[in-house]
Amino acid sequence: MKEMSRRKFIKVSAKAGMAAFTAGAVSPLLGVVNVTEAKTSKRSKVTPFRFVVIGDAHLYEMDNHRFDKTFERAINDIIKMRPKPDFVLFIGDLAQFGKVKELEKGKRYLDRLKKAGIPYRIIPGEHDWYLDMGKTWKEMFGKPYWSFDHKGVHFIGMNSILVRDYWTARNMSPWERMLAIAELECHICGLWGVREEQLEWLEKDVKNLSPDTPIVVFTHSPLWDYYPRWNFQTEDAPQVRQILSKFEKVIAIHGHVHQVVYNKTGNMVHIGNLATAWPWPYPPVDLPFPKIRMLRVDPGDIYDGVGFASTFLDDTFLGVMKYHTWAELIPEDIKDGVPL
Amino acid sequence: MRGTRTLVLLGLGAFLGFSINFLINVAEARKPFEEEDLKAMNEALMELVKKGDELWHSPKLGNNGLTCANCHPDAANTNPHTFPKFQDNVGKVATLREMINWCIQRPLEGKALPEDSEEMKALEAYAIYMYRGYTLRPGDNTREYPPVKVESGPGYP
Repeated sequence: MKEMSRRKFIKVSAKAGMAAFTAGAVSPLLGVVNVTEAKTSKRSKVTPFRFVVIGDAHLYEMDNHRFDKTFERAINDIIKMRPKPDFVLFIGDLAQFGKVKELEKGKRYLDRLKKAGIPYRIIPGEHDWYLDMGKTWKEMFGKPYWSFDHKGVHFIGMNSILVRDYWTARNMSPWERMLAIAELECHICGLWGVREEQLEWLEKDVKNLSPDTPIVVFTHSPLWDYYPRWNFQTEDAPQVRQILSKFEKVIAIHGHVHQVVYNKTGNMVHIGNLATAWPWPYPPVDLPFPKIRMLRVDPGDIYDGVGFASTFLDDTFLGVMKYHTWAELIPEDIKDGVPL
Repeated sequence: MRGTRTLVLLGLGAFLGFSINFLINVAEARKPFEEEDLKAMNEALMELVKKGDELWHSPKLGNNGLTCANCHPDAANTNPHTFPKFQDNVGKVATLREMINWCIQRPLEGKALPEDSEEMKALEAYAIYMYRGYTLRPGDNTREYPPVKVESGPGYP
């Protein structure tokens, strides 16, 4: 049954981008998002393609851990996808405590994608970083912020988990520093951001791009204020949004929230990705788009509440992001994908 | 004689009056707690809540490195005010303590705590405190409720 529905998804999603656009032109799509509002470029042409977003694997050192199983299942599903996604974006938190063994384990899984002919890109999450301040991660994966062009779209990845020093004054060991920030509700860690170096880089990176360039930006945390208590935010997101405000349309994809969540700010649409490890509950604030959410999770099923996403972009830079799950998690209205 | 009768009646009246007065005093029970007493009692509770917070974030309850906080930051989605209720994963009407033990045994792959243990009381106290102010809704399986909104600090005094 699961195999059947997966095949059905692949067939359906090939047309999903266009279907989303058609539905949107007639009425606000599914009553949740008015895609007709989304600005599309008249000049820039995108060659339609799909890519996968996966993240928040939170791998532990121990063997046969439950999070190995869910991550492995996701990797296997991605490898079996036909047509193959053009690339996979890992959106942070490969490891739980930034340990070398955890990151090595994660890299072994990701390298299976590469062997199957699917390249991947990666940005860090706080769980990858604060044991050795990103040393191992950078040795394995290179620069934590980057950009590239693919089939007419400019992709940007940034490291949004940089905090101010909370450990020196408290005389904390690297392990204590890591354990503190590994808690979502860490109340000594402060707010995350991308900080000056990346803001300067971003400004230069997009300086010569015309406003009709389709932009997709990846960060671990949302580029809008959702629930700062859990760092469901990026402190200098207003500056990032300002730099990107010259573009007609920007799609911003983030991890960290381990849940289905959607928002719009100015020229940007924001969407959250599921974790492969475990789901987070919704925080005590109103959702900007309450219909774009996930359903109740069965905590007895390790494959419920988790998954990844497949994104399709059409030739007018209208997109649809479809959550790939193994349980009844996505409401009927958005089962075929969230329009971007 | 008349004088004596009057005195007896007066005496009886005084006794009854005194008794009624006395009974009213009894009905009022004790004096309200002094500020100091209230403070000490609250401190005792906060000590338990703090212990619960520490356990909530400790992998020692389980065997796979997970903590309660992995899925329930700030005790979110524990809905303590909706217990007791039928829990389909437990297969019966469960108390909050039974549900905590279910989580320890299943997602955390650990050993159930004795339900009257200090650890269990502390975990329960933390979860309930993070949902302070909610109306009791025993049996409510209709939705998930968020915990109190925390601006800063651990979420309790």
